[in-house]
Amino acid sequence: MRILRSLTDGIGFDLILIGAAMAFLMAMAGLPLVYNVLMSFQEVDMFSLGSLIRPWAGFDNYRSVVAQPEFWLVMKNTALFVVGSIAGQFTLGFALALFFHQNFPGSATIRGLFLVSWVMPGLVVGAIWSFILAGDYGVLNALLQGVGLISEPVFWKSDPNLSLYAVIIANIWLGLAFNMLLLSVGLAAIPRDIYEAAELDGATAWQRFRTITLPMMRSTIGAVLSLGLIGTLQQFDLFPAITEGGPANTSNVSQYWAWQMSFKLYDFARGATISVMMLVLVLFAAVIYVRSTRGEVRG
Amino acid sequence: MKKLFLAMTASVIALSAQAEPVKLTIWGLDGDNGLIPTMAKEFDDANEDIVVEFRAVAFDDLVNETLKAVATGNPPDMISLDNPDFAMFSSRGAMLDITERVAASTVIKADSYYPGPWNSVMWDGKVYGVPKATNTIALFYNKDLFAKAGIANPPQTWDELLEDARKLNDPANKVYGLTWSARANEEGTFQFLPWIQMSGGGYQAVNGPGAVKALDLWKTLVTEKLGSQDVLSQGQWDSTGTFNAGNAAMAISGPWELGRMSTDAKFDWGVTLLPTETAGGARSSAMGDFNWGIFAATEHPDESFRMLEYFVSQADRLFPEFSNIPARSDIALPSTGDARKDAALAVFQEQLKYAQPRGPHPEWAKISKAIYDAMQQALTGQATSQEALDQAQATIDGILKG
Repeated sequence: MRILRSLTDGIGFDLILIGAAMAFLMAMAGLPLVYNVLMSFQEVDMFSLGSLIRPWAGFDNYRSVVAQPEFWLVMKNTALFVVGSIAGQFTLGFALALFFHQNFPGSATIRGLFLVSWVMPGLVVGAIWSFILAGDYGVLNALLQGVGLISEPVFWKSDPNLSLYAVIIANIWLGLAFNMLLLSVGLAAIPRDIYEAAELDGATAWQRFRTITLPMMRSTIGAVLSLGLIGTLQQFDLFPAITEGGPANTSNVSQYWAWQMSFKLYDFARGATISVMMLVLVLFAAVIYVRSTRGEVRG
Repeated sequence: MKKLFLAMTASVIALSAQAEPVKLTIWGLDGDNGLIPTMAKEFDDANEDIVVEFRAVAFDDLVNETLKAVATGNPPDMISLDNPDFAMFSSRGAMLDITERVAASTVIKADSYYPGPWNSVMWDGKVYGVPKATNTIALFYNKDLFAKAGIANPPQTWDELLEDARKLNDPANKVYGLTWSARANEEGTFQFLPWIQMSGGGYQAVNGPGAVKALDLWKTLVTEKLGSQDVLSQGQWDSTGTFNAGNAAMAISGPWELGRMSTDAKFDWGVTLLPTETAGGARSSAMGDFNWGIFAATEHPDESFRMLEYFVSQADRLFPEFSNIPARSDIALPSTGDARKDAALAVFQEQLKYAQPRGPHPEWAKISKAIYDAMQQALTGQATSQEALDQAQATIDGILKG
C-alpha cells in the first residue's frame, strides 16, 4: 500500500519521472548512438544493412578511414572551419551585442531584425551565398569589381585557397544573430550599479569591459562558445549548397565527408566510423568546457 | 449434401483467389506524366489480371531507398536505376537473372541495342536488365563565333580543340573558349572518363600517358583562362547555360540540352563528335541514362517480365513523347521539324556508337570518386596530372582487388 501510494506522491513518482525521461533519451538518442558505434566496428554491406549482428571488423574501419588520402586534409579543414566560424560569429556577435546594448532609439527592433538570418533554413542560406559567391556572375565579384578592389573575378567556390572560407563566411552570417542574442541577454543581466561604481572610481571604458563585463559574462561566453562548437560541427546544409566539399576536398569537413561516405559512396561502416571520430572530438571539447566553468564564481 | 456444399465453397474461394489480380510495384524517378507512370498505367489498363503501382523516388534517394528495401527483403518488383548504379545490385544477386527470358523473347533483342548501354546491364556474362534510354556527350559550338574567328570547321583533335579555344577566347567580351563540367561528383567523371578512354585507358587504367595528356590539356584550359575556373564547381546544366548565353564558344554536353538551346541560344550552333587524341584516333564518349531491372525477390517474375516487354515494345515512342533517345540503333528518330536539332541528333546517334558505360562495377561510386578527386587535384594545382592519376590508380587497384 505504501509502495503504491509512493507512486503518486513520493519517491516512486520521482522514479517514474526519471524512468520516462531516461527511456525516451535511450530510445531517441542512446540507441542510435550505440548502433552507430557498433556499426563502426562491423563489416556492413547491402544485405546486412538491416541486421544488428554483422561480421566483426575490429579497428579495420578506423584504419582505413585514416589511410584515405583526404583524411588529414579533411581534419585540417574541420578544425579551420570550427575555429574560423566560431571566432567570426563570436567576435562579430559580441561587437553587435555591445553596440545594441547602447540602447539607442530603435535598437531593440533592429536587433530583432538580425534574427532573420538565424531563422532561415541552411539550404536557403547556402543557395543565396552560392549565388553571391559565384565566379563569373557573382554578386560579390560585381560589387568588388565595381568599386575597383579587384580587376578579375575571384572564384570563391572553385579556388582551392578560398573555397573553405566561402563556406565559413556563409556560416558566420548564419550564426551571427544567435551569438548576438545570447550575448545580449548576458549583458542585460549585469547590474548597472557595478559599472556606475567603477566609473566613479575612474575606470576607463576598456578597464570596465575587461574587469567587469568579461568576468561577469564568463558563463554566458562559455555557453555561447560550446553551443557554437556544437552548431558548427553540425553545420551541414551549407556544404552541399555552396561547394560540395570541393574543389578537390579543399572545403570538405568531417560531417560532410561522413555523409558522402554513407550516402554517396554507400560505405555505411566508414561513414559511421567518421561520425564516431567526431563524437569523440565533441566529447573532448565538452569535457574541457565543463572543467573550465566548474570553478566559476557567480555574481 | 454437406460435403457438396463444402466443395462448392472451396471452389468459390479458389475462383475468387484466381481472379485476384497480381500487384506489381515499380520505382523510378519519372514525374507524373513521365515515361514510367504513363506506360505502367497503359500496361495496367490492358491487363485485367495485373495491377501496377508506381512510386516516384527522387534521384538523390533512389539508390539509398533501394538499398534499404533490398536489405529488409522488401524491394519493389521492378525499378529503373541510373546505369552506373546498376552493377551494385546486379553483382550481388539483388536483380533477377533474365538471360534465358531475353534469349527466348520475341520483343527484346540484345543485338538491336548499342553496345555501351547493353554492357551496363550485364554482369559476369549474364543479363540482369534492359536499357531504358540512353544519352551521351559531344561538342557544341557557336558557328557565329567560329566564323568571326575565321575558323572553318569545328575541332577534330585535342590539339585543335586547344588551338581553337585560344582563338575563340575573348575576355573583353566575356567569352570563354570552352565550357564543360569538372565538378567533384559523378558529372565530373561522366565528362572526364571519355578522354581517358579515347587515349586507350579505361576506369581500370586511368594513369596512362594519354590520360595524363588529357588532364594536362584540361589544366591548360583552366590556367590560361580559356574556360572558367568555375568548371570545378558547376554542373553540366549551368555550364551549358553560359554557352547558350553566348559566354562560351564551345561546350561539352548532351542531347538533353537541345530543347533549351533551340529557344535560348540567339546564334547559329552545331554539334560535332568529341575531338580525338590524334587525327582519326579512337573515339569514345560517356553513356548516361537508366536501366530497367526486375528484383530477384519478386513473387511475380513472369508478370514483371511481361511488363518489361511491354515497355520495350513501346521504344519508338520514347523520343517523340518523352524526349528520350532509345538505346537501340534500329529505331530511327522522327524529324523534330527543326533542322538544327535534327542535325545535332544525328551527331549524337553517331556518338552513341562509341559511348561506354561507367563500370559496370559494384563499387562504381568509389571508383568514380577516385577519378574526379584526381581530376580536381590536378586542376587546382595540388598535384601534377601524373601524381594525381597515379594516386587514383592506386585507389582503384585497391577497389578492383576487392
